[in-house]
Amino acid sequence: MGNEVLRVEDADIYVAGKRILRKVNLSVGAGELHIVMGPNASGKTTLLSAIAGVEPYEVRSGKVMLAGEDITNYPLHERVEKGLVLAYQNPPSFKGVKVSEILKWLRRKFDLDPSFTESLAEILDIHKLLGRDLFSGMSGGERKRLETYLTLSIMPKVALLDEPDSGVDLDSVGRILEAIKLALKHGVSVVLVTHSTHMLNLVRPLTNTVHLIFKGHLVFSGLYDEVVPLVIKRGFEGAAKALGRWS
Amino acid sequence: MLNKNMAEAARKALSKPAPYGPDVDLSKYDVLNPRRIEPTEILEQERVRDASGRLGFTPEIVRKAGYVQVDEAYLASALVESLRKQGVFVMSTAEALRKLDIAREVAWTLIRPDTDKYVATAYLYGKEQGYFIYVPPGVKVRTPIYTCLLITRGMTAQLLHNIIYVADGAEANVVTGCSIAGLHAEALHIGVSEFFVGKGAKLTFAMIHAWSKGAVVRPRTAVRVAEGGRYVSYYMIYSAVHSLQSYPKVTLGRNASTSLYSIISGEGEGIYDVGSSATLAGPGSSAEIISRNLAKDKSRVVARAEIVGESGPSKGHIECMGLILSDTAYISTVPLLDSRNPEATLTHEAAIGKIGEDQLTYLMSKGFSEEEARALIIRGFLSVEAPDLPPQVKLSVDRVTELISSKGHG
Ligand SMILES: Nc1ncnc2c1ncn2[C@@H]1O[C@H](COP(=O)(O)OP(=O)(O)O)[C@@H](O)[C@H]1O
Ligand SMILES: [Mg+2]
Repeated sequence: MGNEVLRVEDADIYVAGKRILRKVNLSVGAGELHIVMGPNASGKTTLLSAIAGVEPYEVRSGKVMLAGEDITNYPLHERVEKGLVLAYQNPPSFKGVKVSEILKWLRRKFDLDPSFTESLAEILDIHKLLGRDLFSGMSGGERKRLETYLTLSIMPKVALLDEPDSGVDLDSVGRILEAIKLALKHGVSVVLVTHSTHMLNLVRPLTNTVHLIFKGHLVFSGLYDEVVPLVIKRGFEGAAKALGRWS
Repeated sequence: MLNKNMAEAARKALSKPAPYGPDVDLSKYDVLNPRRIEPTEILEQERVRDASGRLGFTPEIVRKAGYVQVDEAYLASALVESLRKQGVFVMSTAEALRKLDIAREVAWTLIRPDTDKYVATAYLYGKEQGYFIYVPPGVKVRTPIYTCLLITRGMTAQLLHNIIYVADGAEANVVTGCSIAGLHAEALHIGVSEFFVGKGAKLTFAMIHAWSKGAVVRPRTAVRVAEGGRYVSYYMIYSAVHSLQSYPKVTLGRNASTSLYSIISGEGEGIYDVGSSATLAGPGSSAEIISRNLAKDKSRVVARAEIVGESGPSKGHIECMGLILSDTAYISTVPLLDSRNPEATLTHEAAIGKIGEDQLTYLMSKGFSEEEARALIIRGFLSVEAPDLPPQVKLSVDRVTELISSKGHG
């Protein structure tokens, strides 16, 4: 494993005062791709959002370390400045806020690498969206491509991508995959939540670790081939039982 | 020079309150005698620069303005000479009434001097201060004509009568900025405005207001749009006031259209009672009234809008949006649709809310601080698409929008 950039230690994870996950441990190396799997409502969004510091999700005990620094109590936008960014599963819509305005702001704030952002914009087909209101009236594919773009263009240390491929046409899935590849190549670590067998097949050769969430625990972290085929064959419950960390 | 009957009626109306807004004792303000001055006398003054700067008007704009009034002193600029070659007149209303038949013909035909005590006061004591703009048939003046009405002295009553006459097939863009020097000054501004838009003519009128905590503001505006004409107004206020009450009325002839935008940003303890009214008097006419209302601190904003469908087919739409930024502020929207014709299609939508937590959090998840996120959301809320605004005017509007949103996070 390369240098560790993200480490979650014994974290109890809550949303709106309710505990969703207990004693989560996770370690992500630089430039690695990790996949988080689990049934609906098992806490995938909760996990990613709590790590990112998005309210009302929170880590109540335990630690979140980013590149060796304890960021457990950092406010949201400071985590972003440190290089930890979440791509929302469902970003909200804005009236009167143009995509181009956000991009201009990001360029100023983060001193973006123009050749990287330009390639990314091309891959994700962003140019057509520049004059639009942020996420307003956008199709599933447009929303996800844009949210992936906004997250990756900052070139964070760690990008947390929450189902960037759900509700998306095949062309967009392909583009989002290419974007992830480009980010990985630039040393960005990616934690990806996905359900679709299509996406899972595509990312197999790139994946370092797969994490399985079930009934309030992160029950197993291992290689793609240890986890994914089992989930596909036996479902989440079967896989969780077979992998022996849950009963 | 007052008309005897009108003056008689106006005198009787001197204590007649307006139907909306708080009643104001007008007797405490000083009415000054108008005088004409040279540009150099005032334009370099600190207080003038302060007042005009708050409008998003650069010194360059003020220097080129067609008409500038500072307290009781007014001037018309050199720009006016070049316009005159095209037959365009920009002068004080008093001068126009002395010199031009058209001015005498139309003055006080849209607004009666006995409308209420504010109009009556302006009629009886205003001595026809204010600007008169005339654009002859077919002449299209694309460069905006700026007018600037400033108050720099406390306890002043600025009483104005403005007339714009855009003849058949002509076109004009007028930008009026009204402001006061000093954020605490007490003053009274009454602006009676009568606008005439000829057949197939177009008038775009942008008005920006920047007042003070003690300012009492009572604009009285009426607009008549003839067949196939178009009137676009874009009104913005983004300062404290003591109280502001205004309800411009637009009457549309056959196939005439209007778009009326107002952007209200209330703060302090100000009362902002602002509306727009359109009457679809001719078949084929259409009107849209769009407002964005922001309330901070302890301000009270009442956003009125009225469309009267007198003839059909015709179309009217009201869109009234409010954003409350403090729990001591108040917004009320009063949209009124009044149809007297089955072929008139009238619709409205209204919504009042606060800044969405999910929107704030989302922007912060992309690195915005809370303040930056608020400013961006407010700017988004305030920016309405107004395609008729000329680019130069849009620049002023954008500057003001920026000012509002950057101080709107309280
Ligand atoms: N904002 C929220 N407020 C309250 N409960 C929430 C919120 N978000 C998620 N939950 C609850 O937390 C649990 C985990 O949800 P989530 O993390 O969204 O699951 P997943 O992403 O795996 O589908 C669910 O029971 C869900 O109802
Ligand atoms: Mg989810």
